[in-house]
Amino acid sequence: MSDITTANRPASNAPAPDVLDGIVQGDGYKYGFVTEVETDDAPPGLNEDTVRFISAKKGEPAWLLEWRLKAFRRWRTMAPPDWAKLDIAPIDYQAASYYSAPKAAAGPKSLDEVDPELLKTYEKLGIPLGERAALAGVAVDAVFDSVSVATTFKDKLADLGIIFCSFGEAVREHPDLVRRYLGSVVPQGDNFFAALNSAVFSDGSFVYVPPGVRCPMELSTYFRINAAKTGQFERTLLIADKGAYVSYLEGCTAPQRDENQLHAAVVELVAMEDAEIKYATVQNWYPGDENGKGGIYNFVTKRGACRGARSKISWAQVETGSAITWKYPSCLLEGEGATGAFYSVAITNNRQQADTGTKMIHIGRNTTSTVISKGISAGRGQNTYRGQVKVLSGADGARNYTQCDSLLIGKRCGAHTVPYLDVRHPGATVEHEATTSKISDDQMFYCQQRGLTAEDALSLIVNGFCKEVLNELPMEFAVEAQKLLAVSLEGSVG
Amino acid sequence: MPIWSMRLEAGGAMLMTDDSAPFREGFDQMLATAAEPVWLTFRRRAEMDRFALLGFPTRRQEAWRFTDLEPLTAAAPLPMAAPLPMAMADDLPSPASLALWLLPVTTHRLVLANGHVVPSLSAGPPLPDGVWLASVAETLRRRPDLLEGAFGDEDGALAALNAALFTDGVVLALEPGVTLETPVEVIHHTTAAGAHARLHIALGAGSRATVVETAIGPVGDGAAAGPVTSWGNTVGVVTLGADAVLTHLHIQAEGPAACHTAAVRAVLADRARYDACAVITGARLSRRDMAVVLAGDEAEFRLYGAYLLDGGQEATLSVRADHLGLGCRTDEVVKGVLAGASHGVFLGTLAVAPGADGADARQVNRNLLLSPTARVDTKPELEILADDVKCAHGATVGSLDEAALFYLQARGIDPETARRMLVEAFAAEVLDAAGLPTALAELAHRHLWRWLDGRDS
Repeated sequence: MSDITTANRPASNAPAPDVLDGIVQGDGYKYGFVTEVETDDAPPGLNEDTVRFISAKKGEPAWLLEWRLKAFRRWRTMAPPDWAKLDIAPIDYQAASYYSAPKAAAGPKSLDEVDPELLKTYEKLGIPLGERAALAGVAVDAVFDSVSVATTFKDKLADLGIIFCSFGEAVREHPDLVRRYLGSVVPQGDNFFAALNSAVFSDGSFVYVPPGVRCPMELSTYFRINAAKTGQFERTLLIADKGAYVSYLEGCTAPQRDENQLHAAVVELVAMEDAEIKYATVQNWYPGDENGKGGIYNFVTKRGACRGARSKISWAQVETGSAITWKYPSCLLEGEGATGAFYSVAITNNRQQADTGTKMIHIGRNTTSTVISKGISAGRGQNTYRGQVKVLSGADGARNYTQCDSLLIGKRCGAHTVPYLDVRHPGATVEHEATTSKISDDQMFYCQQRGLTAEDALSLIVNGFCKEVLNELPMEFAVEAQKLLAVSLEGSVG
Repeated sequence: MPIWSMRLEAGGAMLMTDDSAPFREGFDQMLATAAEPVWLTFRRRAEMDRFALLGFPTRRQEAWRFTDLEPLTAAAPLPMAAPLPMAMADDLPSPASLALWLLPVTTHRLVLANGHVVPSLSAGPPLPDGVWLASVAETLRRRPDLLEGAFGDEDGALAALNAALFTDGVVLALEPGVTLETPVEVIHHTTAAGAHARLHIALGAGSRATVVETAIGPVGDGAAAGPVTSWGNTVGVVTLGADAVLTHLHIQAEGPAACHTAAVRAVLADRARYDACAVITGARLSRRDMAVVLAGDEAEFRLYGAYLLDGGQEATLSVRADHLGLGCRTDEVVKGVLAGASHGVFLGTLAVAPGADGADARQVNRNLLLSPTARVDTKPELEILADDVKCAHGATVGSLDEAALFYLQARGIDPETARRMLVEAFAAEVLDAAGLPTALAELAHRHLWRWLDGRDS
């Protein structure tokens, strides 16, 4: 088929190349620096001994080691998924090191004991620790590579009975809760990357909000990949008990590096009766340079279970980073009247690839879900929305509305939409709409004619295009996200 | 996915089996007896090898994940190629059953029984100059040039099997500038397993034609369940020259024990227009794969279709439109009505190649679920690699509007009639939008009414 393409055609009515075409190098990755800290790494390679090493390093109980080993054995029998519209160079899972912890004489008791190098890193990232945390009103469970080194606002939360700690701590302090919910939403053998994570997960966050408690502040964690050749495998478990409410923010930046880094996280959310969870992500990992060299592989499994009646889970994400994104935050709508939502902005520039979307599984009666996805492709980026809406035979009165819009900037990028609708109940109403278009010359001209630069005009138009999603983000993130959109598209016009 | 399975025999010898094994004997026999051009024999062998490599599609393949061929592949014995071009009396449709499906106007009619054109049932007025309409068998004897090079571009294992085993078919070729006013009517009557027929349509620059393709078979006792007893596997090859216009109506009304698979590939030159309409109500298991390549500038493809299913029926309509030229247009509207425990599948892909600026493509799939056990899977897909495009798709699934039902009942219409009216309106809308010539529209609507009547009884 490709032999009948239109390579020789003159590009009629195309925008002037200096306006919308081509990619100019940006300022480079703004958060690209490496902190020199000695690390205590596992030897490269992955086998049962590696799993035992990680488990022993973390001083885990026997049941968790067994759980990891079970996952590892499942993983060995699985093949990486190949259905996504992604071009992934083969990954040598034996070449990476699966554990990396900052060296410290003993666990830090306060900020004074934390390695000053680490603190400097946080400063550069603008993480509000200590006083800054109080000013920003944000509790931070900062993950530096794999081990949590400082947790703030813990006492305040503890007064309300909210548990917000590192995963490792949760295993030690609250083994019953962890054991009860770990893997209950994303089972060990769910998919290739989830199985890998289950076997070698390093650390992450654990949140439990007791019945009837409304978490008074946004919980947030900065994930940051640091040591070279170390995949990071966070595990996040968030439980909102009956009538509880929690909003969780997750933001990511990573230092510049030339070798691809694998990131396979698992996030599990559980919402009981009348509970509500809002989970927001801004992902800005290193996307590789303009030639596609380097960059993070972001293969994430995120899933929430609306277990109880009238429970709500909402995912909001702004994906601007990573060389390759493979991510489908999903909702299992089990309880009667449960609500799921997915709001997403995904940007691919240069040679970035993103295959992202959601799954809404309607199981209970009168469950509703909303999906709003905005994909922006520039440069040679490839952006795919892949989403599934499934209505099972018990989901009487289920409703879904899906809208996915794609915006193309430039001649060499691609935008793809792959929705799956699977409906097995006549009482369900499922609607899907999608559009693909480009930024019109008229829009650009109008803005520039009023004195905006091409870049500001683009930023304005893109922010307008994404407004429905940005509105869903908590205040702090909305501001950061708007800046990110502009930074990510730098060099795509002008 | 293993391409073939290997079995270690007791003695350690290796035996390789593939899905082509059950067809090989009949295939070799056919090659030995048929007096065909050498290029065709080579082509048939190559296609059989291709099928051997691919095997029957399985649900492990993305394009087939919703279509379960198990009722077909599990049918024992596996479908064999009919070795002789001899239609038995049992295979012929009765005049009464045939009459149900005929256009109410004069046509050039060709009736195929199990993949062979039956001259006694085929008729029509004399053909105008510049029109070639004949069976594949006759074309191979008298105008082999029309078919040489027209094989093997179709994707997929079933198309490969068809090209290897095809028994006969219909060839319509129009020279440039010719308009064939009388519709061409092709009726496939299938009673046996493994009827592989072909339909070749080649319109020269500026020519016009109308083709109605109807698939029928024994009606049986009505329930779509149990094993498949007949299998028609057709391939259509459509080539439209610059400014050519083809209107193509497909009606699929096979019986409840039938399996129907069809692949259509169309290539459109500059400003060519392909108007397709498909009405699918028959067969236990059916699948229609359309691949339309808008190769020329400003080519236009329109598809209006409906699948109406009941009982244990399963039907898949898969359409891929590749936009390669500048300013191409595609408009697809497909509706589904699913009753009983039926399963409808719509797979639609709109693809815009790099540089294919000005593409304007629209795709709509609407489904109506009439029972708690009916199921629909729809996957409307966009693949856009050019930026100056307008592409949109929409898909909906729902049930009858309670308010509309109430409205009708409040005006004294009984619930059954009200329901029927709403279903009819839902499906008829797409047939009306197709803008078919009167005779074709009448046939399509008659087909719809018959389906509705069948549900009432």
